[in-house]
Amino acid sequence: MNNKFIINFQPGSTMLHKLTGTTKVRMFIIFTVYLIMSWDLRLILPVTVAGIIGIISMKPNWKPIKFMLAFVIILNLFNLFLFFIADPDIGTKFCNSRTVLADLPGYLYLSGETLWYLFTRFIKILSSFLISIIFILSITPSEFAAGLNSVKVPYKICTVVELAYRCIPDIVRDYQNISTSMQARGVEMDPKKVSAFKRLKQMVMIIVPLLLSSFDKVGNIANAMDLRGYGKKKKRSYYAEHEMTKADKVFRVVYIVIALICVAYIAYKMLAPGYLQLWYPFA
Amino acid sequence: MEKTAVIEFKDFSFQYKSQSKPTLHDINLTIYEGEKVLILGPSGSGKSTLSNCINGLIPFSEKGTIKGSLKVDGMETKEASIFKLSKKVGTVLQDSDAQFVGLSVGEDIAFALENENMPRSEMIPRVQEAADLVGMGEFLEHLPYALSGGQKQKVALAGVIHDDVKVLIFDEPLAALDPHMGMVAVDLIDRICRDQNRTALIIEHRLEDVLYRPVDRVILMAKGRIVADTKPDELLRSDLLKEHGIREPLYLTAMKYAGCRLEEQENLADLEHMELTAENKECLERFFQEEVMEYEPVPGEPVIEVDDVTFAYEDKPVLRDVNCTIRKGERIALIGKNGAGKTTLARLICGVNRPVSGQIRLRGQDYSVLSIKEIGEFIGYVMQNPNQMLVKDVIIAEVKMALELRGYSQEIVEERAKKALEMCDLYSMRNWPVSSVSYGQRKRITIASVLALEPDVIILDEPTAGQDYRHYVEIIEFINELNSRYGKTVILITHDMHLAIENTDRAVVFSDGELIADDRVFRVLSDDTVISRASLKQTSLYTLACMIGVSPEEFIAHFISCERRGKAGE
Repeated sequence: MNNKFIINFQPGSTMLHKLTGTTKVRMFIIFTVYLIMSWDLRLILPVTVAGIIGIISMKPNWKPIKFMLAFVIILNLFNLFLFFIADPDIGTKFCNSRTVLADLPGYLYLSGETLWYLFTRFIKILSSFLISIIFILSITPSEFAAGLNSVKVPYKICTVVELAYRCIPDIVRDYQNISTSMQARGVEMDPKKVSAFKRLKQMVMIIVPLLLSSFDKVGNIANAMDLRGYGKKKKRSYYAEHEMTKADKVFRVVYIVIALICVAYIAYKMLAPGYLQLWYPFA
Repeated sequence: MEKTAVIEFKDFSFQYKSQSKPTLHDINLTIYEGEKVLILGPSGSGKSTLSNCINGLIPFSEKGTIKGSLKVDGMETKEASIFKLSKKVGTVLQDSDAQFVGLSVGEDIAFALENENMPRSEMIPRVQEAADLVGMGEFLEHLPYALSGGQKQKVALAGVIHDDVKVLIFDEPLAALDPHMGMVAVDLIDRICRDQNRTALIIEHRLEDVLYRPVDRVILMAKGRIVADTKPDELLRSDLLKEHGIREPLYLTAMKYAGCRLEEQENLADLEHMELTAENKECLERFFQEEVMEYEPVPGEPVIEVDDVTFAYEDKPVLRDVNCTIRKGERIALIGKNGAGKTTLARLICGVNRPVSGQIRLRGQDYSVLSIKEIGEFIGYVMQNPNQMLVKDVIIAEVKMALELRGYSQEIVEERAKKALEMCDLYSMRNWPVSSVSYGQRKRITIASVLALEPDVIILDEPTAGQDYRHYVEIIEFINELNSRYGKTVILITHDMHLAIENTDRAVVFSDGELIADDRVFRVLSDDTVISRASLKQTSLYTLACMIGVSPEEFIAHFISCERRGKAGE
């Protein structure tokens, strides 16, 4: 089951896998804020490098990751190209300077600032992608619930998240069953034989019984949870959330430091007059 | 010694908010500490409602009006809360899959403790202890998807057994289990309740399987009232079972056929310890000597030939070198544990999956050139859960769907849909919305929608699962009629050995992807190696045959012949 979904249901064995859900969720949130806040490659690149090291240390199954990476890179290059076409001036606005490198047909021209801006943007997105992949690969849904709870998300919401993951494989199985019986009754699903639109319509036909049979289950799950005292207390503990290890304590120092940097940087950004968003080394 | 009452109903009635009449009437019932009680009754008799009153789902989750009093461990339930009650009463629900809320065995067992906000360090030894108690101690890391139905049920039990739970309620614990697992479950329930002096309430309609281990009392319910509260032996001697649509144990049926005097028979409910009286033994021996027409099915021409078929799923072989022939007009049972390969064979026969090697032939024609759609006109597949098959709003639209998808002309569609609806006794309801009919009727709709294509072969996946005896009989009679009157070949995928014995001619048994037996049902069920490999269990007829010292195989065959004679005579 673990190979079919990118999300793991059982914790892996590397150092990052073994962190507590709390550490994983907090690190993810703080790193994401950190990456969003600045356009300064001096701040971003260390995270990129750490991300690459992190992902290698997890010894993941590379096949789906390579695929996603290629997808993200291609989509982003295209996105950057559109940015450029829409406004070739975009980088210069951030820098208050303009270094024209080449004139292009029409209104287009290439400036050092725009090029640098697009490059920075690309690295930012790549780094966010790396951080997200590490997070997804390292965490199990139960740890995710425990981690969310640790950042003061109400535990009922955490349970919803956890139950959703619990049900995915069941829904996949039901879908296959329904699709089998539909095919036997004559619904053609072979992509070679029917158009994409018709297939889509047939998918909708499968979803009706799928929803109905899922609703049947909801009542049962709710009863099972009630009967075991769910919602009795204001707080709940998590079996999947093990005690902090040494690594957790080290990472706690790391994320607290980064959080402080974030606060300082954002404060500086808001208070310093004439602050330039983009760090441009060639000005 | 004074017995302490743990559950006390006094003039208790309950009416659901959405219903116009009470579901439970004037219940007076006392259950004492350490007792093991079986609550028996057909669907709709109120037995589940009764148990939900005890565990607190009523009135805390499902609203309604309570009259009278119900005390659980001295606590008046309507004044308590579901949380307080859950400390006293542990409930194992029927659907072992839906009640698995954790993402691993350990987490699921810990769920109640998590809700107590217990620190993890205290939780771990308790989870281990509970898991060891049910024999799941080695599986704490396992995911729910990797467990069998029986294992999930054990986890559910471990999850409610914490602390000072006094009463354990089992809601149809056998419904999803194969025969052997059912036996193990009954044994486990017995052991845990006796060893730890917990009170057990078992809600079931599969009487014979529950009686595998002794129960102290049986409560028979019908139409919201208690109609009998007695010792199992007494109940078996009475006519109440027949009256209220509960299937009696097979050995009892055999003893009745033989004209045994049940009044003098001791330990009637406990076959293992029953010693036949000399008189009854004589009756059975005489019964066995009786001449009956030996029923021998006449083999028709082969319709489906499965030739050396192997199938693998993601490089894991699930079926290996299967050979079998299905002949016209046969009734065949596909038997085996979950995952043994019976559903895979059904899918191969329907053409949904294709063999990795080997060949399937349909009336001599190679399958591989036919599409699923073409095969579907020849072989109909009816899933276990009708809710997973029904996609239209109105019954007749559902039945017409397959015909319309094949582009038949309007007249043919009308004609064939009418015929199929008539065969299933649904024609008068044809314009009803699908959502308004009962489960059994939905089952019929799915069968009608498959019959509309006029297939020669119908495959039914667990057609009677979750049905009480009355509905079971209804469905089975209908299937038998399709076979005898319309000449359809019927393939049943089933765990129910009763069903296989009484209603099929041949059993094809699978174990770990191999076909291990393909023979008349009574022969299969007398073969010890097949029984243990396929996780079946010996029927009580086998045990009875051993008691009078005759060959079990012949005894079961004789019994089946009498059954058929009895049915023909009706």
